[in-house]
Amino acid sequence: MSETLPNDYFSCLLGSLPIDPQDSLGWLKQLRAQAIDQAGQLRFPTVKDEEWRFTDVSPLTQLPYKPAQKAGTLNISDIQHFFIAESHHRLVFVDGFFAPELSQLSADDQLLLGNLTALASAKASLVETHLGQYVQFRNNIFAALNTAFLQDGALIVLPESCVVSSPIHLLFIATQERTTHYPRCLLIGESNSQATVIEDYVALGPDTYVTNSVTEFSLADNAQVNHIRVQRESNKAFHLAHSAVALEQSSHYRSVSITLGALISRFNLDVEFKAQAAECTIDGLAMITDKQLADTHTCINHATPYCTSQQQHKCIVDGSAHAVFNGKIIVRPHAQRTNSSQSSRNLLLSGSAQIDTKPQLEIFADDVKCAHGATVGQLDNEEIFYLKSRGLNELAARNLLTYAFGAEILDRIPVRSLKHALEQIVLNQTQSS
Amino acid sequence: MSAVLQNLVNQPYKHGFVTDIESEIAPKGLNEETIRLISAKKNEPEWLLDFRLKAYQKWLTMTEPHWQNVKYPKIDFQAISYYAAPKPKNKLASMDEVDPELLRTFEKLGVPMHERAALAGVAVDVIFDSVSVATTYKEKLAEVGIIFCSISEAVHNHPELVRQYLGTVVPVGDNFFAALNSAVFTDGSFCYIPKGVKCPMDLSTYFRINTEESGQFERTLIIAEEGASVSYLEGCTAPRFDTNQLHAAVVELVALDHADIKYSTVQNWYAGDENGVGGIYNFVTKRGLAKGVNSRISWTQVETGSAITWKYPSCILRGDNSVGEFYSVAVTNHYQQADTGTKMIHIGKNTRSTIISKGISAGKSNSSYRGLVRIAPTAENARNFSQCDSMLVGDQCGAHTFPYIQVRNNSAKVEHEASTSKIGEDQLFYFAQRGIDAEEAVSMIVNGFCKEVFQQLPMEFAVEATKLLSFKLENSVG
Repeated sequence: MSETLPNDYFSCLLGSLPIDPQDSLGWLKQLRAQAIDQAGQLRFPTVKDEEWRFTDVSPLTQLPYKPAQKAGTLNISDIQHFFIAESHHRLVFVDGFFAPELSQLSADDQLLLGNLTALASAKASLVETHLGQYVQFRNNIFAALNTAFLQDGALIVLPESCVVSSPIHLLFIATQERTTHYPRCLLIGESNSQATVIEDYVALGPDTYVTNSVTEFSLADNAQVNHIRVQRESNKAFHLAHSAVALEQSSHYRSVSITLGALISRFNLDVEFKAQAAECTIDGLAMITDKQLADTHTCINHATPYCTSQQQHKCIVDGSAHAVFNGKIIVRPHAQRTNSSQSSRNLLLSGSAQIDTKPQLEIFADDVKCAHGATVGQLDNEEIFYLKSRGLNELAARNLLTYAFGAEILDRIPVRSLKHALEQIVLNQTQSS
Repeated sequence: MSAVLQNLVNQPYKHGFVTDIESEIAPKGLNEETIRLISAKKNEPEWLLDFRLKAYQKWLTMTEPHWQNVKYPKIDFQAISYYAAPKPKNKLASMDEVDPELLRTFEKLGVPMHERAALAGVAVDVIFDSVSVATTYKEKLAEVGIIFCSISEAVHNHPELVRQYLGTVVPVGDNFFAALNSAVFTDGSFCYIPKGVKCPMDLSTYFRINTEESGQFERTLIIAEEGASVSYLEGCTAPRFDTNQLHAAVVELVALDHADIKYSTVQNWYAGDENGVGGIYNFVTKRGLAKGVNSRISWTQVETGSAITWKYPSCILRGDNSVGEFYSVAVTNHYQQADTGTKMIHIGKNTRSTIISKGISAGKSNSSYRGLVRIAPTAENARNFSQCDSMLVGDQCGAHTFPYIQVRNNSAKVEHEASTSKIGEDQLFYFAQRGIDAEEAVSMIVNGFCKEVFQQLPMEFAVEATKLLSFKLENSVG
C-alpha cells in the first residue's frame, strides 16, 4: 500500500526474526515459515479497514520495536504480588520467555502443563493438530507476526476426565522498554475434562512496549473450562491479542475478560461451535480513563444446532478514553434451535469520553432465538438522588454506582482472591476519578 | 408445509405489463454530451448544468462502493440510457388531454386519478417514466401558497428556491449513486410549504418505471418553512422486465424552525421472478435535515419490492430539540436482497430519535438492518431508542443486523435492542384451533409484527400495505 511507514515497520520486524533454534521440529519450522510469508504479504490495518475503523494502530508503526530479548532473571519477590493464592499451577513468562524458576508446576494431577516449544516434540502429533488451527493467520497480520516469532508459550493439556481443581495461572510479565513480545497459549481439553485458567498480562514498570498474544482453546466433548483474562498492562503499552475457542459437543466455555491497562488495546475473541449442544458464556469489562483506547471484537459462530451463547460486555469510560465494542453473532444455515443473547452496556463518565458499539447479528436459520441490546448512558440521577437521601454525598454515590456497574462482571470470576484484587483496582479507579 | 402457502408465495407480480407509448430515448452511455443533452432537452438554466457537470466530474473520481451486504452483477453505466421522455405533446390543459393509453395504465395500476383526487382528497403528481404528465389539485394548494410541482417546473418557475436548497442535504459528491443522480436526474417532485402553513392534504406521487433499460434518476426536494407541516406519500409499482433496472433516486428534505415533515413510502417495484431473474435495483439516497429548532422529520417505509433495496433514509438533527423518526418494514422473498436502515446524526441539544425497524425474510432472500446513531459532542441530552426485529420464514433466508452506535457526549442516552423470531408451528396450530387457516394466520402474525410501523402510515397507505404484505408472503410458510 501507499503508506511507507508500515512497510518499514515490517521490514524492521521481519529483519529481526530469530534464527530457528537447532532442535526445532520440521512442522513447527514450516508453520513459522508460512506465517513469515503471510506477514510479508499482509499490510498494516488502517482506520479505512472496517475491522479497524475506530482503532488507529498507526502509533505502533512510529517506533521501531525490536523483539524482546531474554532478560536477566527476576526475583520471586518482585512479582510475588501478582500471584494468586488459590493457584498451585503457575507458568511465568518474562517478555514472552518461559521462566521456569518463577513458575510452579505441581505434579499431582495428570495435567500436562509447561512450555509449548519444550513439550512440542514430546507431544508433537497432539500439538501439531491444534497449534495455529483456531486463530488463522491468513488474513490477520498480528496473528501472523505472533506465529512468525513463535518461541515459548504455555501448553495445557487436560487428559480425558481430568478435573483440575486449582486454577492454572499463566502470568505474562513485561519488563523491557520499547520491545515487542509474543505470548502464546494453547489449551487442549480432552473429553470430560475441567479446569480454570487465568491468563494474566502485567508490567513491572510504566513502560512503552507491545504485547502481541495469541491464545487457542480446544474443548472436546463435555469439557468445561473457565477462562479469566486480565489485561493490566502498563498505561503506555500496546496490547494486541487474539483468542479463539473451538467447542465440541456439550462442552462449556465460560470466560471473563477484564481490560484495565494499555494505551491502545485490541482484543479479538472468536468462538466456534463445532458440534451440537455446546455452550459459551462470555463476559467482559473494560474500565479505561485518560487517553486509553480499549477495543473488543468478538465473533460467536453458531455453525451447529442446539448451541447456546450468552454475552455481556460492559465499558466504563472516563477522561478522554475511547471504548470500542464489536460483537458479531453468526447463525449459520441449519444451526437451528440456537439460543443466543448479547448485551453491550456502556457508561460514559466524562464529557470527552467516547464509545463506539456495534452488536451485530447475522442469521441464516429460522428456528432460533437471538436477541441483542446496547445501551449508552450516564449514571442515573434518580439513583444518585436515592443514595443521597440515604446520607451519601454526591461523590460517594457516584463512585458506588460506578463500582456496582463494573462489579456485576467481576462477580462472575470464580477465583476469590483474584476477584477481590480486581474489585480493589476498580474501586480505587472509581475513587480517583 | 402446505401447498396452498407455496402457491401464495409464488404468485406472479400483478402489476407486470408494459405500456406501449413512444418514448424519446437518449442514446446509451454517459458522458458530458449526455448531460448537456439532458440539460438542453429540459431547457435548463446555466447554473443547473454546472451543478450536473460538477457532479459528473465528482462521479468520475469515485468508485462504486462494495461494503454493502448485497450482491449483484457489475452495472455497466455506459449501457444505460439516461433520458427517456414520453413523446412530447402539446401542453395539456386538462386531464382529458392526457394520452388515453397512459390513463389506462394508471387504471390498471389502480390509480384512478380523478376518483382518487375527488374521494381521497389527495393531490397526485404522477411521474410516468421521467416526466410529469399531470398534476392535480394544484390550484387548491396554490391558494395557501404551497408549491407542489415537478422539479423541472420548479427550476423554471422558482429557480431561487431550487438553487438555494438543491444539493444542500445530499451534496453532489455524497456517494457514488448520489453523484450519478445529481449529474443525470431527469425529473422528480418539488414541494415548498411556506411559513406557518399546514398542508391541507397529504401530497402524493406515483412513480412508475416504464421504458425497458432506462434507469430512473428521480430527484425530490421538500422544503418546510418555519412552522410549516406536510405529509408526503410516495408509492411505486413497475412493470415486469428481465433486464435489471437501476433506480438511483435522491430525496432531500429541509425542515426549518418548528417545521414538520412526514415522508411515507410504499415500494413494490418488480422484484424479479422466483429464480431471482430481473427486478429493480433500488439504490436510493434519502436524507432529511432538521435544520431549525423544534423541527421534526419522520420517515416511514414499507419496502416489499425490488430485487435489491439499498437505502438509508436519514435525519440530520441539527436544530436544538429537533426530532427524527424512522419506521420501516422490509419484506424480502425469493432471491430479493435488502440492506436498509437509517442514520440519526444528533448535532443539536436535546435532540431525540426513534428507530423501529421490522425485517421479514422468506424464501432465499436476505434482509439487513444497517443503522447509525451518532451523538456529536455538541448534542447535550440527546436521546435515541432503536428497536430492530427480524422474522425469518423458512430456513434458507438470512436476517442481519449492523447497528453502529457512536457516542461522543456523556449526557446522551442511547438504547438499542434487536430480536429474531420465526412463525412457529405452535402459533399456527393455535390459529388452526380457532379455525383460521395457515395463510390467514401468517398474514395476521406478520401484520401484528409490523403494527407499530403501519400505525405511522396514512390511512390509505396502511390498508394497501397490509394487503401487500399478505400476498407477498403467501405460501411462504411450509
